[in-house]
Amino acid sequence: MDIKSIKLKHNIKLQLFLISASFLFIYKLFVNTDGSFVLHLINEIAAFFTVWFMILYANDIFNEKKFSPMSLVMNLGIMCAVIFLAVTFSDSLLPVLFGRISDTLKNPDFIFKIISFLYVLFFAAIISYLFLIFKEFYYLGQKKSSSIYFKTMVVFFLLASVTAVLNFFPEVSYIKNTFFIISVILIIINSLKISWIAFIKKKEKLSLLLLSVIICILFFVNLFGSSDENSHYQVLSGFSIGLGQFYKIIMIYGAVYFAVLFFTTLFHIPTAEAFDRKAQEVSSLQYFSKLITQVLDFNELAETVTDIGKKVSNGDAAWIIWKYEKVLKPIAHQNIGYLDAELISDYLFRNKPVQETSYIENLQRFEKRSQLNEPYSMILAAPLKTHDEVKGYLIVTKKGDFIFDDEDKSAIDTFSDYASVAFENSRLLEESIEKERLEKELDVAREIQRKILPAKDPVYEKLSVSSVFIPAFEVGGDYYDFFEIDEDLSAGQTNKFGFIIADVSGKGISAAFIMAEVKGIFESLSRTIESPKEILITANQILKRSLDRKNFVSAAYGVIDFKREVISIARAGHCPLLLVRNGKIKNIRPKGIGLGLNYGDQFRLSLEEIELDLADNDMIVLYTDGITEAKNSEMEDFGETKFEKILLDNSGKSADEISNEVIKEISQFSKHSTQHDDITLVILKWKQKLKIVSPSEEPGLDGMEKVNGRIQHRS
Amino acid sequence: MAEFSTAVKDQGSVSVVYLSGYLDAHTASMLENNFSDLISKDKFKIVVNFKDLVYISSAGLGVFMAFIEKIRENSGDIKLTTMSDKVFNIFDLLGFPLLYEIYNSEDEAVKKFEETGKVEK
Repeated sequence: MDIKSIKLKHNIKLQLFLISASFLFIYKLFVNTDGSFVLHLINEIAAFFTVWFMILYANDIFNEKKFSPMSLVMNLGIMCAVIFLAVTFSDSLLPVLFGRISDTLKNPDFIFKIISFLYVLFFAAIISYLFLIFKEFYYLGQKKSSSIYFKTMVVFFLLASVTAVLNFFPEVSYIKNTFFIISVILIIINSLKISWIAFIKKKEKLSLLLLSVIICILFFVNLFGSSDENSHYQVLSGFSIGLGQFYKIIMIYGAVYFAVLFFTTLFHIPTAEAFDRKAQEVSSLQYFSKLITQVLDFNELAETVTDIGKKVSNGDAAWIIWKYEKVLKPIAHQNIGYLDAELISDYLFRNKPVQETSYIENLQRFEKRSQLNEPYSMILAAPLKTHDEVKGYLIVTKKGDFIFDDEDKSAIDTFSDYASVAFENSRLLEESIEKERLEKELDVAREIQRKILPAKDPVYEKLSVSSVFIPAFEVGGDYYDFFEIDEDLSAGQTNKFGFIIADVSGKGISAAFIMAEVKGIFESLSRTIESPKEILITANQILKRSLDRKNFVSAAYGVIDFKREVISIARAGHCPLLLVRNGKIKNIRPKGIGLGLNYGDQFRLSLEEIELDLADNDMIVLYTDGITEAKNSEMEDFGETKFEKILLDNSGKSADEISNEVIKEISQFSKHSTQHDDITLVILKWKQKLKIVSPSEEPGLDGMEKVNGRIQHRS
Repeated sequence: MAEFSTAVKDQGSVSVVYLSGYLDAHTASMLENNFSDLISKDKFKIVVNFKDLVYISSAGLGVFMAFIEKIRENSGDIKLTTMSDKVFNIFDLLGFPLLYEIYNSEDEAVKKFEETGKVEK
């Protein structure tokens, strides 16, 4: 049903009321009902419909609103008091205006008729209102309303009121009396259904106790005061005898209802506290569900926790003390200044062991209490735990002489447990987000590294190259590269071959970025500077601008001159190079400190360049400490001895075969433990007779361009 | 993996930092905190005892580089002592002996500080 049709019906009720009221008015004005039963009956019927439509119309207005029981009681009390005034003063006031009412009623003048009509209409409205409030009470708090009882009662109310007209025939007055008595019995039965009383607060119950006594007495006074001698009642019943009866019934209803209400409330008082607590628990459960939705934002969560903590413990102000790396800091303060919160927290937790349970403390002994902006007198502190560790406290405080009782304490206990769970969830969520972020970062770092390293090994007539790189889970910062120097484009051959192996300190994305920079530096320097020593010196100078103090790079750079058949090598803090010649192994370890360790003369002076003539079948091995420091399950190092032995044992094989052999052995060695550092191995074999030669390809260049492009894009 | 731990002991005007376990990217921050602490207390004469240190990674070495400049500006120093061969080898490869004084015993390093202190007076 849409609103329009309701409105329409609503208006019809109003119109019907107005019509019947007008009819009644005119009828009263011009018809003298005295002595005629029929005329009386018409009068009663008109009065009945007037009140009936009035109630129906008012009922619609009533249904649109939701009333709290206490406000209903208050309204009802006021109406009842109005009637009380009418009953009490009508005897002294009305006769002054109209003479003896019983006489006037027999022979009313025009003015009396008008005034009595308005008077009756006013009280009819009050009675209707009372009736509607009782109806509201009846349905309050009833889940499955057995409306049949109430409806039956209403029917008997009507019957008792309508049959009052039978007063004309005293011999059948038992009919009227029977209906009246049945009505009273139904009133008593229906009055016993006061379920709403359980749901109101303890304080309200106490005031209800007092109110119900007063209202009950008022109803009784109204009922017994409304005798046939009472002017007020005379006016009402003289107007319509049925209305007078209805008025009496409502007064009885009120007296009975409030008498029952008084005793019910009385019996509910002892359990009121328990009920309140239950109600509080239910509401803190609601709070808890509110907390759950806020775990995404720690600060927001903290604010909500203090807000609710303050409410459940009836405190004036609240805040949280949270442990940030062993230091307790006040956060999320509500209704209290930061300075006050800090002063009190300092007093509470300075030099005190961790409290595992909640406690109440009086601030009277707090020596700096006078420095507080507000006179806080008591605190209630509850620990917030995550993983059984106290991570902070929820603190509530009260001003003045108010104290925290055990009830407040238990409320905050329950709530702080909920809050702890919420904080724990918040932390776990944050951790998993952080973990995901780190993994993403590692992916990026690995991607950078992959693109920086040469895509494939170069191939030369006199030199075979084999490189292996195995990244660690966390990018370790290994870098190696090959450069074509002094290219003779017309002949399609390279005169010199440059190579670098380096290890950037640190791990992850920061190491990957330094690697990218190192690649850029050597890529360009290799084209302009020939001497490995000079290249390293210049690289060191360039790195000065970008390297953090705690970062450094170990590197070894070498150049092989195909024409002169010599190799020149300089080393900046890197693992020595190995030369395998004639079944013997030799460390090539020119002096030099790592790049980025010193930017002065010391670096330049420490550097040494070694030049060696190459012999057929010479093997040069470049590696990073990922090989020698590979660990087995007992945390032992793979070590240099083992490494060198493998190289010697396999020295007759091709570069690729040797590197495969080394990697096979290392993975065999460390198969039960994780790889902590990148592993890089580069094997250069000079004039090996086994290999078929083919023209060179430019290695690694496209990878380089991609990385550079990406870095520029990101900045 | 053996946990990393540090301990600081004052020996006159010299602070001796004892390291044990594995010093790598994950544990380097602990040693950083030690050095920051000492610097904030104006203690610039530092001897680091490596007797129980099993392993040091490049990130661990970086810690020394991060603080040495500040310490030397304040006429202090970090002197390194009692390294195992393996740890010394790591330092040696990188050329640390050229940048840091490395001694066989803690006493030697402390004595060295005292001598230079006398000269200054």
